[in-house]
Amino acid sequence: MSSPLSLRAALVFAALALLPLTPWMSKYYLLLAFDALLFGAVAMSLDLLIGYTGLVSFGHAAFFGLGAYSAAVLLERGVTSLWLSLGLAVVIVGLYGLLVSYFATTRRGIYFALLTLIFAEVVYTVFRYTQAFGGSDGIQGLPPPSLAPGVLIDTPARNYYLVVVYLFLAYLVCRTLVSSHFGRVLAAIRENEDRARFLGYDVQRYKMGVCMISAGLTGLAGALYPGRAAYATPDLMHWSISGEFLIMVMIGGLGTLVGPIIGGAFFILLQEKVSSYVQWYSIVVGLVLVFIVLFVPKGLLGFRGALLQGLRRGTP
Amino acid sequence: MSRNGVLLQVEGVSKSFGALAALTDVSLTVSAGEVVSVIGPNGAGKSTLFNVITGLHGPTRGRVLFDGQVITGRAPEAVNRLGLAKTFQITNVFPGISVYENVRVAAQSRTPEAGRFTSLWRRPDVDTTVMELLVAFGLGGRRDETAQNLSHGEQRYLEICLALATNPTLLLLDEPTAGMTPGETKDATALIRRMALARGLTLLLIEHDMSVVMGISDRVAVLHFGQKIAEGPPEAIRNNPAVIEAYLGGADD
Amino acid sequence: MNFAHGELYMFGAYAGIAAIGLTGSFWLALLAAPLAVGILGAVTEVATLRPLYRREPLYGLILTFGLAMVFREAVRQIWGGDMRRILPPVEGSTPLLGMTYPNYRLFLLVFASALLLGIWLFFTRTRAGIIVRAAVQDAEMLDGLGVNVPRVFTLTFAGSAALAAIAGLLLAPIFTVYPQMGVEMILLAFIVVILGGMGSMGGSVVAAFVIGIAQSLLTLWMNPQRVAIAIFGIMIVVLIVRPRGFFGREGVLE
Repeated sequence: MSSPLSLRAALVFAALALLPLTPWMSKYYLLLAFDALLFGAVAMSLDLLIGYTGLVSFGHAAFFGLGAYSAAVLLERGVTSLWLSLGLAVVIVGLYGLLVSYFATTRRGIYFALLTLIFAEVVYTVFRYTQAFGGSDGIQGLPPPSLAPGVLIDTPARNYYLVVVYLFLAYLVCRTLVSSHFGRVLAAIRENEDRARFLGYDVQRYKMGVCMISAGLTGLAGALYPGRAAYATPDLMHWSISGEFLIMVMIGGLGTLVGPIIGGAFFILLQEKVSSYVQWYSIVVGLVLVFIVLFVPKGLLGFRGALLQGLRRGTP
Repeated sequence: MSRNGVLLQVEGVSKSFGALAALTDVSLTVSAGEVVSVIGPNGAGKSTLFNVITGLHGPTRGRVLFDGQVITGRAPEAVNRLGLAKTFQITNVFPGISVYENVRVAAQSRTPEAGRFTSLWRRPDVDTTVMELLVAFGLGGRRDETAQNLSHGEQRYLEICLALATNPTLLLLDEPTAGMTPGETKDATALIRRMALARGLTLLLIEHDMSVVMGISDRVAVLHFGQKIAEGPPEAIRNNPAVIEAYLGGADD
Repeated sequence: MNFAHGELYMFGAYAGIAAIGLTGSFWLALLAAPLAVGILGAVTEVATLRPLYRREPLYGLILTFGLAMVFREAVRQIWGGDMRRILPPVEGSTPLLGMTYPNYRLFLLVFASALLLGIWLFFTRTRAGIIVRAAVQDAEMLDGLGVNVPRVFTLTFAGSAALAAIAGLLLAPIFTVYPQMGVEMILLAFIVVILGGMGSMGGSVVAAFVIGIAQSLLTLWMNPQRVAIAIFGIMIVVLIVRPRGFFGREGVLE
């Protein structure tokens, strides 16, 4: 297992790449698939934090939104290079991530979570009420980004391919990280933070590191969003979006990386179907969370994994 | 750096938690290669002393020197990096991962990648170190078992493996045989002794079990109500009237 | 730890609205609302939180986050998302120190002080209060002593829910009632705890004073959103200069 990419994963990505070529993939479904994979990627990077390190973040929407606004601000001014958008997103989200993680990692449990939430609320408030960023309407009517002069990402298919590539790269990063020296320390921190300190690890530094990586990946995903939606609004930074990311991770299964991707896809599809009941929406989402935590805490994939383990132990 | 082979110097350490004086003016010296035990009735301040030495609390007064360097008030991770490792009175391992993974993460804290960017993708190979320790403590066959599924005695051994994997020069053992049966205690004591000799380790123990203390120690220090009331070779301590008084005078064993 | 605590506070206000609608009396509502919310708290604790005590704390966090979402939206469905008003039960104002001070605020001052005193006495002087403190420190030991620990936890939860509800109803005439009030309050409460230092009740009181005064002063110069950001800024500054808060104790950083 020297490569982080298993055969199964490679096959899945190949299948994803071929998806647009199937006959029933209309523009509508391609955009849906884009959302599913993009948010799935965010859920995966959140899983690094929650599932692997045991830190619950209620403020991930801020990372996503900041990434989106970074791209939007450039696109608005006619700077359509995708690379510049991504670069700016990394810088902005990186700085913000550094700030948040520096303070949040000084506390544990609910206090960590609340600190991430407070920071995100401030970010939301700033963007919602600042006219320079378009206030509650955000930045609308954006041109499509370009990979290179003349190569525009302006169709659902091209956006879709972009997100598949991003997901692939993000997955490689996460897989490598999780089985590396760094990743093992994260697991130790999750299992027994104090003990890790007594073994010589500067635990706060590791926590900050994983926070910033998770934030960075989320910010990059956010930067891809305006290309698909042609806008960036403060709603992207709202705490309910943070809640949705959390649900995606829970549905898919903590600590599995792949689970949250599936959880994200599942959730986006669920949202599409339930969106007609928009009024009740938050209640459904909240109840799903409660249900999962109580009865299926390991999520879809975790459950399957536990089942397999049980079978394996049973045989002599 | 150490003078006259003195490894640890505790100088006039006092520690109060609000109105509670847990330690009052405790001084202790441990020389390289020694095995020193700290004993005393419950509540005497023994664990507090360990916590001050390893950096969990800063003392209210006094200082601690390790290998000639002042380590008073330094963070636990810094103290460990200097070569001082501690095991816990209540088993404190990584419950959800396997025995092998437990010791692996302890051992890899001493590889060059630790604390550097390269740790983000490298997977250092510490297999030899880990298996050596596991086999020495009889846990080799249990390497893939989840730590929380281990028996109590096995978990105590895992505790020690974790501490040893960080390659210390001084090992602090907080009641290593706590909760063990007499048979297990004998085996554990012999094992610890062998380990210490093989690796040239200096040991500082907290123990309640007198057979362990008498059998293994070069010197014994006695704490009572946060003060050191006696210190000397095991035989002298056994017959010391003040010590006997402390144990029999109302305080429980 | 209960992320939905802000929503219990919110429920107090809305339950108060319902009770006032039924009885027309603020004072009856002040009795009925905490009772209702306390029961809701007890039921919630038994049904959803009790199974989680054995697990890692992060599950409780996520679950109460979900609960908070459900409570918030349920309230929005039943009472609508607009701001609602509750009229202060004590009207008029008194000239005091050269200003006219609304009587209701004076009443609040007295009532809140009495409540705080009562809580402090409960925890330090009554047997029940000591049991609760013991349960938080070492539940196993308490269980060994024959105390029904799960019931202690449930009652404590119900008690804190009732207290939150009282606060929600009492503050409603001043702050108005809307679904988001819980989230805003919990964040504010959190800032107070961070500033005052965890583990110090006196610190929380001092910090609450500081924040309250800061808020009132800043509102003179800035709009509400900027005030919120300014308060947040104060928290950051204090965290940098004194990470433990005003009166935080060593080792209680978490």
